[in-house]
Amino acid sequence: MIDFLDVCERAETGPLMTEKDFELKVLIPKLKEVVKEYGIRYDSETPVPADDEAADAVYHAAVDFLARVGVYCQDTNRVIQFAEEEIRDAVGSAPGECLTGEGKDASVFRVRQPDDERMARCHVNWGTIHSSQEMAIDIMATNVAHPEAKAISISSVTNTVRGMRVQAGSPLEMYAGIRAIRVARDACRRAGRPGLPLMNLVPAAAASVTTIGASGPQFGARPTDGWIIGIISENKIDYGAMNKVAYLLNWGANIGAQGAPSLGGYCGGPTGTAVVNTAYFLLGLVAFKSNYHLCFPIHFRHGCCSTRDVLWLVSTSSQAGSRNVPIPVIWLGYMAAGVNTKMYFYESAAYLLAATTSGADAVKMPTPAKGVKIDASTPMETRFGIEMVKAASQLNRQQANNLVIKLLEKYESRIPNAPEGDRYQDCFDVETGKPGESYVRLYEEVKEELCAIGIPFE
Amino acid sequence: MQKKEILENLKSAVIEGDEDKARESAMEALQANIDPLEAMQMGLAKGTDTVGERFERGDAYLPELMMAGEAFKAAMEILNPEIKRQQKDVADVGTVVVSTVKGDLHSIGKNIVATVLETNGFHVVNLGVDKGALEIIKEAEKANADAIGLSALMATTMPSQKEVIDALIELNLRDKYRVVVGGGPVTQDWANEIGADGYGKDAVAAVGLLTTLLKS
Repeated sequence: MIDFLDVCERAETGPLMTEKDFELKVLIPKLKEVVKEYGIRYDSETPVPADDEAADAVYHAAVDFLARVGVYCQDTNRVIQFAEEEIRDAVGSAPGECLTGEGKDASVFRVRQPDDERMARCHVNWGTIHSSQEMAIDIMATNVAHPEAKAISISSVTNTVRGMRVQAGSPLEMYAGIRAIRVARDACRRAGRPGLPLMNLVPAAAASVTTIGASGPQFGARPTDGWIIGIISENKIDYGAMNKVAYLLNWGANIGAQGAPSLGGYCGGPTGTAVVNTAYFLLGLVAFKSNYHLCFPIHFRHGCCSTRDVLWLVSTSSQAGSRNVPIPVIWLGYMAAGVNTKMYFYESAAYLLAATTSGADAVKMPTPAKGVKIDASTPMETRFGIEMVKAASQLNRQQANNLVIKLLEKYESRIPNAPEGDRYQDCFDVETGKPGESYVRLYEEVKEELCAIGIPFE
Repeated sequence: MQKKEILENLKSAVIEGDEDKARESAMEALQANIDPLEAMQMGLAKGTDTVGERFERGDAYLPELMMAGEAFKAAMEILNPEIKRQQKDVADVGTVVVSTVKGDLHSIGKNIVATVLETNGFHVVNLGVDKGALEIIKEAEKANADAIGLSALMATTMPSQKEVIDALIELNLRDKYRVVVGGGPVTQDWANEIGADGYGKDAVAAVGLLTTLLKS
């Protein structure tokens, strides 16, 4: 099996080519080839398919795709290539689980299967930017207080340091990165969950030096937290990512490869994107030596994960991965609509049904308003997400498919003009941290509607 | 071969993203004494229109756009010398330098915008990703550009869009360029705040915006 230094060596010795040639002459045509050869087909009438053979075909296509294409290193303009046998070896020796957290909050993050009755792991909170540190702490503390919460994505807190806007790669980014970890630990302590793992380190750190610097144990980071190493869309990496891997491997910390293939981008439509998303599980294993994975395939035009075709690819690639690649995956969904809208809950329900019944190991509570609006998240979305995951874990793929179709009828046509919704301070009492009456009412109404269509809430 | 058939071949070469067929059909057009401008407008451009419409409907994606763009360029390499020799004017829509700003490695949205601009007749200089203000301005000067398009996909890279505009002001070049911004977290409010000339929600909006801005 190849190790990380082999990957480093291949980054210096692989075939030399321009990025554009890699895209046009390798990535795009090879992806089209494997989609055709393996007969991968999208069925818009079945957003949550229940066909194990089709899921396995996506997995085999993904192995073949990665073996034919490799990964492009932007710093050396070379393609790092992997033999099919090396990819299958990496799968064969994948850990299948990941130890996270400390003390009473320590847990094993394990893989699930499609139609698995075990509850998917609930991963709470978002990387949202808030307008104040106090607000970020209040929201995080409430979110992690749920006993079902097994891990947290920490907030970026605010987008300024002493009034100056944080800029990628600047020293302010280092200050913001260190602050984010400290603030999240404070929030977890306040909720009586000091050992809870922070799985998205380091949020909003564009520069590898920020991730590495802010990860010093003196700032509160632990190897049982999780670090995200991003695959550049599509099928590219750089020395920034590889530097982070080198650091984390030397430390022995949890490494999470992050793949966010764009449906409509280089992958083309849902079939190609499903293959690439599955290939990213493999790429993380073979190139980053990851022991968990975070993914959010996303629609290129709408910037969300709740469209019919994205739901299909989430379901399909989750099945392909969970049936064949023993690495725990966190599924993250961006919703088009925002806080305090019925549409957000419809989208969230559809996403969680598709992912959970398709074998998602962990689901992050879906992010409102595409994750781009300041203060646009509240503990109500977490509460809903946890209730939905419990309900979805009682269902199989066919049942989920029927429900997702009904939910799509409620919101699909509104995606291009989705309501951006409220901010935390618009629908919560900032002093008490309690939701306002109108939001509670809307929440109860939505739950009644969803019960009526057959979602088995407790 | 009939003129109609040659124009149809040029169109289909673009739709299929077939560079070899595009070159071959362009040569056939010249051999058949078809006006090279007509070959472009009634053949190649019809192909890009079709792919653009499919893209709009969600029936085509970035690969089809890119391959159509490459086929268009391949044919134009054959047609352009003849267009110049005959001293014909190709309508100049404008030159746009596009780049993802400093610290940001996201390329897909920016490349979609670049490709859609190209297929709508703009001359596009695509600088890639992670480019600083001075480098972007230097390239805009070099290309004698009319506009600069800046993409940012992260909240922490949005300030780099402002940096470019601030640098243009400091260098007394602000009036020379229309500056438009886009990207996931970017909004019209942000564009207003930093003094951009416009905000494009997506590639199609960017084309409309730049067309309007460069006409005015």
